[in-house]
Amino acid sequence: MTDDIVRGPTMRPSLAQAVPALPGKPQVGMHELLAFTIAGECYALPLTAIQEILKVPPVTEVPRAPRDILGIISVRGRVTTVLDLRRRLGMHERPVTKHSRVLLVDDGDEIFGVLVDSVLSVYRLLPEEVELAAAIAGDTAEYVRGIGRPKAGRAFGRSPMGRAGLESEDDIIILLDAASLLRSHRSS
Amino acid sequence: MSGSDDTSDGIREEFLAEAGEIVEVLSRDLLVLDQGQKEGKPDPDLINDVFRGVHTLKGIAGMFGYHQVGAVAHALEDLLDDLRLGRVELTQDVLDVLFDGVENFQRLLGGASEAGNAGDMDLSSYAESIERVSAVHEPVADALGGYDIDPGVLGVLTEYEEHRLRTNVEQGVPLFRLHVSFSLASIDSSLEELKARAKPMAEIITYLPSMGETSGDAIDLDVLLASRAPLSELEGAFGSLGIELAPIARRPVRATQPPPASASSVPPSPGPSADAPATGQRAGMSPPPVPGVGRLTMPPRHAAPPSVPPPDIESAGGAGQDALSLRSVSNSVRVDIRKLDHLMNVVGELAIVRSSVGRVTERIRGRPELRQVATDLHRINRSFERHLEELQNGILDVRMVPLKQVFDKLARVVRQVARDHEKEVRLLVTGAETEVDKLIVEELSDPLMHIIRNSIDHGVEKPKMRELAGKPTIGTLAMNAYQKGNHVVIEVEDDGAGMSDQKLLETAIRRGLVSEEARGDLSHEEILNLVFLPGFTTKSAITDLSGRGVGMDVVKVNIGRLGGVVDLQSEQGIGTKVSITLPITLAIISALIVRVCARTFAIPLSAVQEALVLDPAAIRTVEGREVLTLRGSTVPLCRIAQAFDFAPPEGEAPHKHYVVVSALGLRRVGFVVDELQDQQDIVIKAMGKSLSGVRGFAGATDLGDQRVALVLDAPALLEDVLLGSERPRATGSVT
Repeated sequence: MTDDIVRGPTMRPSLAQAVPALPGKPQVGMHELLAFTIAGECYALPLTAIQEILKVPPVTEVPRAPRDILGIISVRGRVTTVLDLRRRLGMHERPVTKHSRVLLVDDGDEIFGVLVDSVLSVYRLLPEEVELAAAIAGDTAEYVRGIGRPKAGRAFGRSPMGRAGLESEDDIIILLDAASLLRSHRSS
Repeated sequence: MSGSDDTSDGIREEFLAEAGEIVEVLSRDLLVLDQGQKEGKPDPDLINDVFRGVHTLKGIAGMFGYHQVGAVAHALEDLLDDLRLGRVELTQDVLDVLFDGVENFQRLLGGASEAGNAGDMDLSSYAESIERVSAVHEPVADALGGYDIDPGVLGVLTEYEEHRLRTNVEQGVPLFRLHVSFSLASIDSSLEELKARAKPMAEIITYLPSMGETSGDAIDLDVLLASRAPLSELEGAFGSLGIELAPIARRPVRATQPPPASASSVPPSPGPSADAPATGQRAGMSPPPVPGVGRLTMPPRHAAPPSVPPPDIESAGGAGQDALSLRSVSNSVRVDIRKLDHLMNVVGELAIVRSSVGRVTERIRGRPELRQVATDLHRINRSFERHLEELQNGILDVRMVPLKQVFDKLARVVRQVARDHEKEVRLLVTGAETEVDKLIVEELSDPLMHIIRNSIDHGVEKPKMRELAGKPTIGTLAMNAYQKGNHVVIEVEDDGAGMSDQKLLETAIRRGLVSEEARGDLSHEEILNLVFLPGFTTKSAITDLSGRGVGMDVVKVNIGRLGGVVDLQSEQGIGTKVSITLPITLAIISALIVRVCARTFAIPLSAVQEALVLDPAAIRTVEGREVLTLRGSTVPLCRIAQAFDFAPPEGEAPHKHYVVVSALGLRRVGFVVDELQDQQDIVIKAMGKSLSGVRGFAGATDLGDQRVALVLDAPALLEDVLLGSERPRATGSVT
């Protein structure tokens, strides 16, 4: 399980600081990522953008809000908007499960909650393990920073369920860009 | 955010707070000066205070790099220096420029706090107006109360001497001229003696060598004295020095410009013009032929400071003043309101923790073996609750500021508007010490300013009209504030013309706000309330004062946003009173908690007129829209479930609904809900920027069960219903 990095609503300055020593020394240019799953696919956000991982608290829906906004929650007294990443990425929504988590993501302007199916683990990828977005096209290209292809043994911890994690060396991680993922909501 | 940013932010805020305080004091002082000017006796100390304030402001603006603020302060400082030295007379025009200065400071500082740096403003026209009033340098000889003092003498007075002279004249101290002859050998000691003798009863303003009949080894001095002592006493004091002493004659007529010489009858007096100097007569003091030489030939001048202790203006502008201003004079602390908001949030969290503990206590109370623990826990929790309440009240208390802050600003508006309209208005303020939440005070100035403009523009009549109506020519505008339970009431009352039902109705009909047929059905109160409708304005010609495109409807909406209500009373010929009732704090408001389709919403109680059970039999439809007939009047209905597109709840629809009636001016809407839960004090919290485009909600609140409830924005929903608009949907960005 990944409970070692999942916390309840307690103060923590930065997740990155809370991650214990990882295999392999950090290097300049290395990508530090938090990987999670959406509809069986593996996505990741830069670790530095993530403030906290929450179990899903009761969410209050906001009528008339954009469709990909799940609702609002209260995080230590602050009303926080929760984005449903499934809807955002154009996938079918599904009910919250016990593995669902809300990531608190700071894009520098507002702190969002981002609902994901489950959290996998922290990865450190070398620059050569990441293929940047320029080469990829498609609907989601807007939020995609690149594709990560970790070599065996780079993952820290095991995937929570086995089925949705990185089972073979051929699996890829889709690297998302926090700012562009959240941006369009502020202009609306 | 990097550390250095924090520091510079902190410094900026420090500057803004300090500058803001100085400007507020300036504004207050100017108002008192204005009053003094009108009564004909402006307090010179006050001019000095203003001068010092501006000087300090210039200093700190320079220190923090706010050059525009510094430039305005600098220009004003020069003007104020002229004022305090009497070179420029304090007139209403000069006061206008000074008040404009306060406005400019506030605009610059306001721009600075928003933009993060001093906003750029075009100040050239302001500089010109300072220039204009400063340029009105009165000739030196003016306003000396008609004293015949030779202009040649005046021409060589130092600024300080001249100021002392004027001050004494202003204070009505008689002036004397003393003619002494000292031997050149002993002039120093003789002068000392003269000063010593003068000190107890007189102030020596200046002494100048007299060019009259000077003998070889003696020097004749003309001394200008100010003293309240009778001539005989002065003669007694100076007599032994072998001196001629005479009071300086004063012309009976007080005029700003010295009247032509013919007007003065008593002594033959030289006119004020410099080209007709006195020729040694008694009345005038003989001037040295060349003023500069006169100064230079005065041996003791450099060693002879004024014999009276320097008045306090001497310290103005000195380095000591700057040092003083850096030291904190009060033991109060300036706190960013956001920090208090944060503390308030923490208290809110603690309240939630407390109720959780309460629930746990209830659970273990059921276990016999733990009963004692439960009792203890309950007791501890109660004590926790008490302290929490104290903490909450303490924080609320810190947020409170006196209404004086906004009233002072408004006093300036009153003066300005009255002057622009050639009306005379006396402002009476009571209850300025009443305290309200800081945020409310901030939001109050615009609505109040608008109400005041209305009162003076539309209400108070011109002096002539008032005279005809048998009223005192000076109109009265009263601003009263007082606390009433958990609310603060602010009243703006004038003794003007009042509002005419007839006129109001005609305007409303012309603007299509009321139908011709309905005119007979409206009561006096309902007609008055017409002014709160959007698009209503009684003056057909739009003036720049009241007709700024905002009407009383905006006032109503803005006050409503603060959880307040506006009431209007007016009697034709007697006056108009606008009363604003506000909650004391925005941090906590009372709300009605309702349920719709298993969802919880809060409606601020300030927006609720009444709540009742919906009687399906009373529903009618008008043009396909549901309305309710409520005690004879028609109230459109808004079903919250439909407004928000909620799917009907599973199972049977509730057999009973409730209507929450909300009012905006004359217009009312009934919001249909499933259940009235209770009334609760809530803390409204803003939703994130991402949801700011969603219409219909004033924010969200934590009800204490970990769930967040939305707070309905009743005015916005009401408007949607009345405009019959398609419900605006946030066009979010599903790409």
